[in-house]
Amino acid sequence: MRVAIVGTGLMGGVHAEAWSHTDARIAAFVGTAGAGGDALAGAYAARFVTDLDAVLADVDVVDICTPTHLHAEFTLRAAAAAKHVICEKPIALTVGEGRRMIVACRTAGVRLLVAHVLRFFPEYRLAREMTARGDIGAPAVLRLSRCTFRPRKADNWYVDPARSGGMMLDLMVHDIDYARWVAGDVVRVFAKAAQTSGRPDETDHALAILTHRSGAISHLEGSWAYPPPIFQTRFEIAGAAGLIEFPGPAPAAIEMHLRGGEGSNHEVQLPRSPLHESPYATQLRAFHEALTRGTEPPVSAEDGLAAVHIARAAIESARRGQPVELDASGEAR
Amino acid sequence: MIRLGIMSFAHLHAEAYVENVRAIPDAELVGAADDDKTRGARCARALGVRLWPTYEDLLAQQLHGVIVCSENARHRALVEMAARAGVHVLCEKPLATTLTDAHAMLEACQQGGVSLMVALPMRFSAPLLEVRRVLDAKRLGEIFCCVSTNQGQNPRRHRDWFVDKRLAGGGAVMDHTVHLVDALRWYLRSEVAEVYAQTTDLLPGGNGDVETGGVILLTFANGVFATIDCSWSRPASYPTWGGLTVELIGQHGVMRVDAFRQNLTIYPERSPGIHWEYWGSDANQGMIGEFVSAIQERRAPAVTGVDGFRALEVIVAAYESARTGRPVRLTMGENR
Repeated sequence: MRVAIVGTGLMGGVHAEAWSHTDARIAAFVGTAGAGGDALAGAYAARFVTDLDAVLADVDVVDICTPTHLHAEFTLRAAAAAKHVICEKPIALTVGEGRRMIVACRTAGVRLLVAHVLRFFPEYRLAREMTARGDIGAPAVLRLSRCTFRPRKADNWYVDPARSGGMMLDLMVHDIDYARWVAGDVVRVFAKAAQTSGRPDETDHALAILTHRSGAISHLEGSWAYPPPIFQTRFEIAGAAGLIEFPGPAPAAIEMHLRGGEGSNHEVQLPRSPLHESPYATQLRAFHEALTRGTEPPVSAEDGLAAVHIARAAIESARRGQPVELDASGEAR
Repeated sequence: MIRLGIMSFAHLHAEAYVENVRAIPDAELVGAADDDKTRGARCARALGVRLWPTYEDLLAQQLHGVIVCSENARHRALVEMAARAGVHVLCEKPLATTLTDAHAMLEACQQGGVSLMVALPMRFSAPLLEVRRVLDAKRLGEIFCCVSTNQGQNPRRHRDWFVDKRLAGGGAVMDHTVHLVDALRWYLRSEVAEVYAQTTDLLPGGNGDVETGGVILLTFANGVFATIDCSWSRPASYPTWGGLTVELIGQHGVMRVDAFRQNLTIYPERSPGIHWEYWGSDANQGMIGEFVSAIQERRAPAVTGVDGFRALEVIVAAYESARTGRPVRLTMGENR
């Protein structure tokens, strides 16, 4: 199996490393000239090109690690050439784009695998497995928190709502997908968003309350308002017959993190824990298996689309100051 | 010497207050009374407190103050009785189960010329006070948002009336919201303008009568928003009764306070299993101390019936929001 990775930034590099744990071969990196893509390609003995079309004939899979606003375009081009698609989360900037991507891949008879990597983080996966097999009874109240600093890339597409959808679509979407995976479909969303720094319209801290069809409630916190180099995740699932807690760093009576020196030279941080295999590698092995053996990975393109639905509803709720109801198909009303 | 009495042992906090009063040299615990004769006799004996046959008998002992620890719905009757007797009142939280009752209690105490304090001990919590000092020094700058939790085990394991709507007024929302509403008002120096809440009875032990979990999103008049998780989401095996946390997101950084995190972890060879033993400062002691000092100094206490009233307003709005699925405006938010 031969792969073209589109996008040579943080996630392009992370996916490349992850692919090296499979027997697939990275044939090419597709990126913008002068953004370090040629060096990345050199490290994997792959070609570097600036146009996907130049390598489409040589590959079986297109792995899209670009900024979110480009996901749809590259997916449609790959599908038109009958190539399987792996796409970073969120699947798309809008529900409409995501749906077009799903239809295009289905029509072309290729797979569309969305990289909601949280489903491959062992702590999240184990908690979901235990919940699904009834260890703590029906899930009732979930708390999911994901707090880091504002991305600091030179061309900072992360903080540009036109390219990333903003913090809630880029960061909170992880926990939105997870909440849905654990507690099922969401029927109502109420969210509030704040901006502690940056330009107007750059939400960097948000809280959302999701109401699931089952009656469960999820409390979500997403933040780019923490000082660098923090990337802190916490969760708990309280069920009818028990509680699962992932408390994050060792709790103390008082914790304070002030913005001061820049703290680290990271542009963007990823959550890390010492493991024999990174969750990104686990994810790509699952995707590789899906493509070579036709198995179903634990996240579907429709799951990716549902997460965008809910994230968009949360953004809309924060804008309007009102709850947003989602109908049976998950569409915002 | 400040002479104090305890009206009813229905609330489990009464036991702690007895010790708190005894630790104050200027205060004397004259005795207690309870409308539940069996409970009164049992608690008075266990705590070594003199039991008077009726509340009237207790109030006739030239008391300066009483601590009302009855079931939530019975606060009003006891507070009114104390106010008529000219005795200052410290009332267990929540102040009441209805705004009508709460209003009547404020009126009664005003007419009786006595002060009404509400048992909101987190104002006296050492970690929470540390945050208040950080805010006073403006080290976090402007505050934009808060995330707070006051989760716990289902209190019916101690007293059954907590899940009886008639006596408790509700479940987890009634029980576990007021501490944080009060702490947030105290930190933000603003009043709640809007309340959104979702509740659940999926957590066990609600008796088919009350909600056992809830998440509330408040918006304050100054624009700050904050969530409160009031769920009884701590199972019986949890290493402690529950906890209270507040996270503040500010212009210059973030801060998180975990009010009951000063613990030793105990791993017994046998049951009762792993648990935490608290070694931090006792917030209740500061609260009872303030009640006594306010009486001595003939001044209003630091936490008043009005604070209890404001917290109850939020609870009442939370129940309405949970019922309708819509945010509820507290119209007084803007002009208080």
